[in-house]
Amino acid sequence: MTVITHVQRRSRLAEMVDRPGGVSVGVALAQAQANLGGLRDQACAIIADNIAVLLAEPAPGTIEALRLDLAYSASNQIIDAASPFAMDDLCTAAKGLCDLLDAAPRQGGFDWRIATVHAQAMKLLLSLPTDAAAPRAAIVDNLAEVLKRKLPAAPQTAHQTAHQAVQPTA
Amino acid sequence: MPTQSDTLRDSAVFNLSGAVVMVVDDSPFSLTLTTGVLSGFGVRPAYTVGSGVQAQSLLAEKPIDLLLIDTDMPDIDGFELVRWLRRSGPNPNAFTPVIMTASHIRRGRVAEARDCGANFVVTKPFSAAMLLERILWVARDTRPFLEVGDYLGPDRRFVRPELYEGEERRADRLRNNMVEFA
Repeated sequence: MTVITHVQRRSRLAEMVDRPGGVSVGVALAQAQANLGGLRDQACAIIADNIAVLLAEPAPGTIEALRLDLAYSASNQIIDAASPFAMDDLCTAAKGLCDLLDAAPRQGGFDWRIATVHAQAMKLLLSLPTDAAAPRAAIVDNLAEVLKRKLPAAPQTAHQTAHQAVQPTA
Repeated sequence: MPTQSDTLRDSAVFNLSGAVVMVVDDSPFSLTLTTGVLSGFGVRPAYTVGSGVQAQSLLAEKPIDLLLIDTDMPDIDGFELVRWLRRSGPNPNAFTPVIMTASHIRRGRVAEARDCGANFVVTKPFSAAMLLERILWVARDTRPFLEVGDYLGPDRRFVRPELYEGEERRADRLRNNMVEFA
């Protein structure tokens, strides 16, 4: 197979990053955390709203594929909102649900009790104090068991595979 | 290649204040979050865009130094946008560093994530520190761009070949077919 190599010119970003001035890493991260701090309540409200979407009964006649997409979108939004605030267990729970919804047959047959279990677990994770490490870990472990049983064909999740496919090895 | 410990020493100084950054995400709250983090880094995003179509038209006209793109968008998704961008030459943005952010990648789309031509795909959750580390990494990324079959983007091989001690089974075949453009 032919390979064409374009030797990369130095980007403008590369030129400016080492220019005089700027900010130190420590200060930059502190400023970023301060900016995020004011958004935490809004993030929690978005997470709660999307958990409610997952727990809601579908409108009569909702097509299975649409229901799967709506639930997948709600789980995605939970990850988006939880990610910057180190709510890693919530992200893990939502990612597990995304994996299950992604693997579900579009024509029907998904066991929706699994989505309910995940949503209730996420509700509990959201309400537990951040220092309640043991109950948090127990919830995540139980969801991992559900994932292992219901997603037997996936030795690792899609997002892990993608992550590894594009991560530097050094 | 700088290691994480090199780039993220607390006292290390960087300057991104002049960077023209575009953030593309269909979620308004995610745009707010990303903008907040970037502001902390001394970057005021020049463009915060809610759709792939809007991003495409801006990218055709405005020079951009760094792109942060969400993978999952309803019209043109992130993968499609980056694939278009890489093939949009002579548009100078065709070689712009791109970091893609993903909440979750569907199993059927993993290959697209690998092959779209982004410099990096970061899966959530990620911290502000990780995002900064990735931005500084792509700023100093010296990998050449390769065109191989359908792929056009940074060389996806991160392993340093000089450290490989095994047999190079395809080296002759690949090197005989290599064309280099300055």
